Amino acid sequence: MKYILNIKSENAPGTLYRIAGLLLRKKINIESLHVKEIDRKHHISHFTIEIFLAPHLMAKLIKQIDRVVEVTHAEYHRAP
Amino acid sequence: MEKITGAQALMKSLLREGVDTIFGYPGGAIMPVYDALYDYKDSVRHVLVRHEQGAAHAAEGYSRLAGKPGVCMVTSGPGATNLVTGIADAMCDSIPIVCITGQVTGEALGTDAFQEAPIIGIVTPVTKWCYQITNAAEIPHIVAKAFHIATSGRKGPVLIDITKDAQFELCEYDDSIQTVMLKSKHDPYYQKKLKRAAALLNNAKRPYVLFGHGIALSKAESELAQFIEKGGFPAASTLLGLSSLPKSHQLYVGMLGMHGNYGPNKLTNKADVILAIGMRFDDRVTGKISAYAPQAKIIHVDIDYAELDKVIPAEVAIHADAKEFLAQLTPFIKSKNHSAWIGRFRKYDEEERKVVADAELYPKSGEIRMAEVVRLVSEKTKGRAVIVADVGQHQMVAARYYGFETPDSYITSGGLGTMGFALPASVGAKIAGPSREVIAIIGDGSFQMTLQELGTIMQEKLSIKIIILNNRHLGMVRQWQEMFFEERYSFVHMENPNFNKIADAYSIPNELVQDRRTLSPALERMLSAKGSYLLDVMVRRDENVFPMIASGAGVDEIRLT
Ligand SMILES: Cc1ncc(C[n+]2csc(CCOP(=O)(O)OP(=O)(O)O)c2C)c(N)n1
Repeated sequence: MKYILNIKSENAPGTLYRIAGLLLRKKINIESLHVKEIDRKHHISHFTIEIFLAPHLMAKLIKQIDRVVEVTHAEYHRAP
Repeated sequence: MEKITGAQALMKSLLREGVDTIFGYPGGAIMPVYDALYDYKDSVRHVLVRHEQGAAHAAEGYSRLAGKPGVCMVTSGPGATNLVTGIADAMCDSIPIVCITGQVTGEALGTDAFQEAPIIGIVTPVTKWCYQITNAAEIPHIVAKAFHIATSGRKGPVLIDITKDAQFELCEYDDSIQTVMLKSKHDPYYQKKLKRAAALLNNAKRPYVLFGHGIALSKAESELAQFIEKGGFPAASTLLGLSSLPKSHQLYVGMLGMHGNYGPNKLTNKADVILAIGMRFDDRVTGKISAYAPQAKIIHVDIDYAELDKVIPAEVAIHADAKEFLAQLTPFIKSKNHSAWIGRFRKYDEEERKVVADAELYPKSGEIRMAEVVRLVSEKTKGRAVIVADVGQHQMVAARYYGFETPDSYITSGGLGTMGFALPASVGAKIAGPSREVIAIIGDGSFQMTLQELGTIMQEKLSIKIIILNNRHLGMVRQWQEMFFEERYSFVHMENPNFNKIADAYSIPNELVQDRRTLSPALERMLSAKGSYLLDVMVRRDENVFPMIASGAGVDEIRLT
């Protein structure tokens, strides 16, 4: 199943690396990636990541991403 | 404001966090901090380990008894990379430690400079959080943040990497930005779930409580006891939950998992309601997941919501701190007594005793057994010592047969299973708990992974009792080769050095025990000795640890032979 992850985080070095690491340890390939600061004042970045993943694993993965200290919000939905 | 160096700011920040002990090892890129440390000799005890891995394990052992983070400090490059095993260990077992590493100058970053290792890149996956400081002014805030993150929510290791120029740089020490906001998850259904959990437990015919390290981490020992006593619930422990409930407690039924007790595993698949608290259904506990408690309604309580529904789907999944949750749950629990159900555990205990335990606890002839050594230690210390066990058969035997009576008494590497953990961890434990009897129980293989820390024990004059359960083998691997690889013993025999001579070299009094009759008196001498003491105990070379759930088998397929 193809999913789109929407993640908001502190705009800090290493955050993408930490999130990518969570994907890597389950050998998940990143199909597409977009990162941009969306809130100058609070230094918040927004990530859009497309991945393929079995549906029963998605809910577990998003919690692990959400657990990252720098991440302020993480959600996913099925890619159209 | 008066200006101070980054190194001085680091020392001030550490003192502000209440740090009085640092396990460390100096080198080029951390020298400014060591220079600043020189002025704090009276307020901070710096323990010079003999290998940086030892600093991380010592910080873990310290944290387990001190109830606050252990701190370790090392240089860049190899100093930092040597920490990695200890950091990964702390990550698996949710142990709060704060690691400080020196780094090459900001200018030199990314140039393959001398002793440059990209430590942030290396430890990111095995830390809860890590950060590289390149400006001295960041230090007070980042140190506050690091301690806060290490100790809040699910605890864990954090690392701060500080470039050498930031250590030299002058800054104004501004610790006004101390507030660290971490996101908190509020569950609007919490009260509902709490009551649902209580109702399930109150109506259960065969309720069963499983507890893990979360009890010790949130200091919920008395809440746990009150809760199970009120409901009359039998309770079983994971490896890291051991000692959070006295083994002599009438509702304690034993240890879960691969080498746990017979009844607790068997009856996991007979309970109708299971409350699992502060544990994460590790594969060593569950065995084959599809065969794990399919009949039971499971209530899972954990401080890390990512653990909920990760391995075993829960009927009620509750994101909470163990202490708070138990205190709130107990008032809703009806007083009951489940004696018939508990009787089934006792029946299995009988069987385990007859088939496994009696023979190894009270052998009359043959070589010394690991179990009888642990039994004697337990009797002589009345179950009140801190046992620091390494990894292997001796770890399982210590877990099975030491009669823990007091909390925080079993320190071992659970999740990562790190051989070499025990000796350095015992250093940290003894420093955090100087009034407690700290006994390290170590296999001959594990001992040789970190035996250089005998030097630390000597220099710090630590009264640590060391028992080597010496089977001349990597016993746990040997057991698997015997059972699952057709006795093809592949590189598990060890030609060992004379451990007594090694202890002599470190001025640690020691004895060699080869004969059952001399075992008990030797243990007496060890325990009555003032300082450190090492016993090299020759045990049977081909022991197997039972009961056992073979890998891939379900919990109720646990074997006694
Ligand atoms: C660092 C590390 N390397 C390898 C292993 C795999 N391993 C697990 S138990 C064990 C044998 C331990 O031998 P010893 O310390 O002598 O204890 P025994 O099992 O004989 O009691 C080994 C090699 C490990 N857990 N950790």
